[in-house]
Amino acid sequence: MSQRRVAITGLGLVSPYGGNTDDFFTRLCAGQSAVGHLLTDDVPRPLSIPFVSCSGFDPDVALGKPLASMMDRFAQLGMAAAFEAWDNAGLARQADGESRDDWGVAWGTALGGTLAYEKGYRELWQQGRERLSPLTVILGMNNAANAHMSIQLGLGGVSMSHTVACASSAIAIGEAFRRVRSGEATIMLTGGSDVPQAYGVARAWEALRVMAPGDAETSAVACRPFSVDRRGLVLGEGGAALVLEDWEHAIARGARIHGEIVGYGTSCDHSHLVRPEAAGQVRALQLTLADAGLNPGEIDYVNAHGTATTEGDPVEITALKTVFGNHAERLAVSATKSMHGHSLGAAAAIEAIATVLALREQTVPPTAHLAQLDPACTGVDHVTTARTGQPLRAALSNSFAFGGSNAVLAFRAVVQ
Amino acid sequence: MDSIGLIRDFLKDRLGVEPENVVSGAVLADLGVDSLMMLELMFEFEDRFGIKLSSDLKTPRTVGEMVTLMDGLYSQSKS
Repeated sequence: MSQRRVAITGLGLVSPYGGNTDDFFTRLCAGQSAVGHLLTDDVPRPLSIPFVSCSGFDPDVALGKPLASMMDRFAQLGMAAAFEAWDNAGLARQADGESRDDWGVAWGTALGGTLAYEKGYRELWQQGRERLSPLTVILGMNNAANAHMSIQLGLGGVSMSHTVACASSAIAIGEAFRRVRSGEATIMLTGGSDVPQAYGVARAWEALRVMAPGDAETSAVACRPFSVDRRGLVLGEGGAALVLEDWEHAIARGARIHGEIVGYGTSCDHSHLVRPEAAGQVRALQLTLADAGLNPGEIDYVNAHGTATTEGDPVEITALKTVFGNHAERLAVSATKSMHGHSLGAAAAIEAIATVLALREQTVPPTAHLAQLDPACTGVDHVTTARTGQPLRAALSNSFAFGGSNAVLAFRAVVQ
Repeated sequence: MDSIGLIRDFLKDRLGVEPENVVSGAVLADLGVDSLMMLELMFEFEDRFGIKLSSDLKTPRTVGEMVTLMDGLYSQSKS
C-alpha cells in the first residue's frame, strides 16, 4: 500500500493562560510562565507546590452540564481540547454525508480518571460511606476521554488510549500518524490530557524528590530546564488535541494545513525505570529521522523533553549531540516546560502543538528562566528568547518517559 | 424533601434541566436521563432516604412513574 502524506489540520488545547491556541503560543514566545502555586486544604498536610492550573476552565460552559457531568476532569480537559481542534479543522461536529467509519481517536493519558477514584477513597475512608456513585467506573476508566470523543464526533474507527507515563501522548500521536499514513484511517483525532493534582499522586511525585520547590512568590520561575540551578520538574494539568488528516482529503475539502507530520520513532532504554539513558534516546531520534526521510542537517528546531530534573537534562543533550554531530552546535533547542510545566500525558501533545506552531509561525519559543547554562548541558544552541528570522524547515519533539520509553515526533513546515 | 423535589434538584444539578420541565408526564429519556444517569438518580435516592432498592425494579419511564416508585418504596421502608 502506498503511503499517504499526513496533514495537521486542527489544533486545540485548554490553555493555562486562559486564551486560545494561538494566544498560548504567543505567551510561550514572550517567555511568560503559566506556573502558579497550588495550596490545598488537604489533611493532614496541604499540598503546597508550584503547579500549572487551567483555572479559567469551566467544564459546564465548555461542554454543557449533561456532558460535563459524565466526565472526570481529565476527560473534560481532553474533550474541550478536542472540540477546539475539531472546530479549528473546519469539521462539523456531526457527520454530514461522509462516512466516518474509518475515522478514529488515539488519546494519551498517564493517570486517566485518578481524581474519580480518589474521590471514592475519600468518601469511603474519610466520610465513612459504604458505597460509591455508579458513575465512578465510567468517570475513572483510562479510555473515557477517547470514548466520549468518538461518541461526540461520530467516529466509527479505532478508539484507544495510550498510557506510557510522560510519553503517553507522543505515542498516541505517533500511532495515530501511522494509521493515517498507512491509509487505514482518513482522519485521526489525537492528543492527551491529565490531572496530576490528585492528593495521592502529587504526594507520590514529591516523594520521588524530583519536584521543584516554590511558594506564591517563586513558583513562576520554579521550572528551569538546563539551568545550573535547576531544582526539578513542575507538574500541571492540561489537555491538547491535534487533527491528523490524509493529505489529499485535506486538500480536497480546502482545509488549512498547519504543518505536516512526517516521522515517529520509539525505543526503550531497557535498563532502569527512572534513570534515562542516552543510548535509548539516540535510537528513538535516529528511528524518527529515518522514518521521516530527514537528515540531521535539515532539523532546525528541537522541542526538548527538558523537564529540569538534575539527571534528565544532560542525558537528553548528550543524546542530541550524538545524533546531530557537527550540526549540534547550531541546533536550536528549547524546553517549553519551563512555562507550561509537565502535564504528564498531556505534555507531549502540548509540545507537539508548540512545535507545529513554531514551524507555522517560523518562530522558536524559548526556554524560560535559563540565565546560567549548566556546563553539563552545553553543546547545542539553547534558545533563551524567542527567535525569528531563520528559516525553520523541520523540527522534532522529544518525549522520554519513566519506564525508559522514548518517543520522538518529526514535523515539516508547510508554506502558509 | 419529597420525591419530586429530589428529582428536580438532581436534574437541575446534573443536566441543567429547568425544574418547571420536570412534570409528571415528562419522559425521563427526553430530559436526558439515560440508563447511566438513571443508576445515578436511584443511587442518590437511596442515599437521601436511607433505603436500598431491589435490583429487579422495573425502570420508570416518566417522571410520574419515578415519583410513584419512590413514594411507594419510601413508605414501605418506614412501615
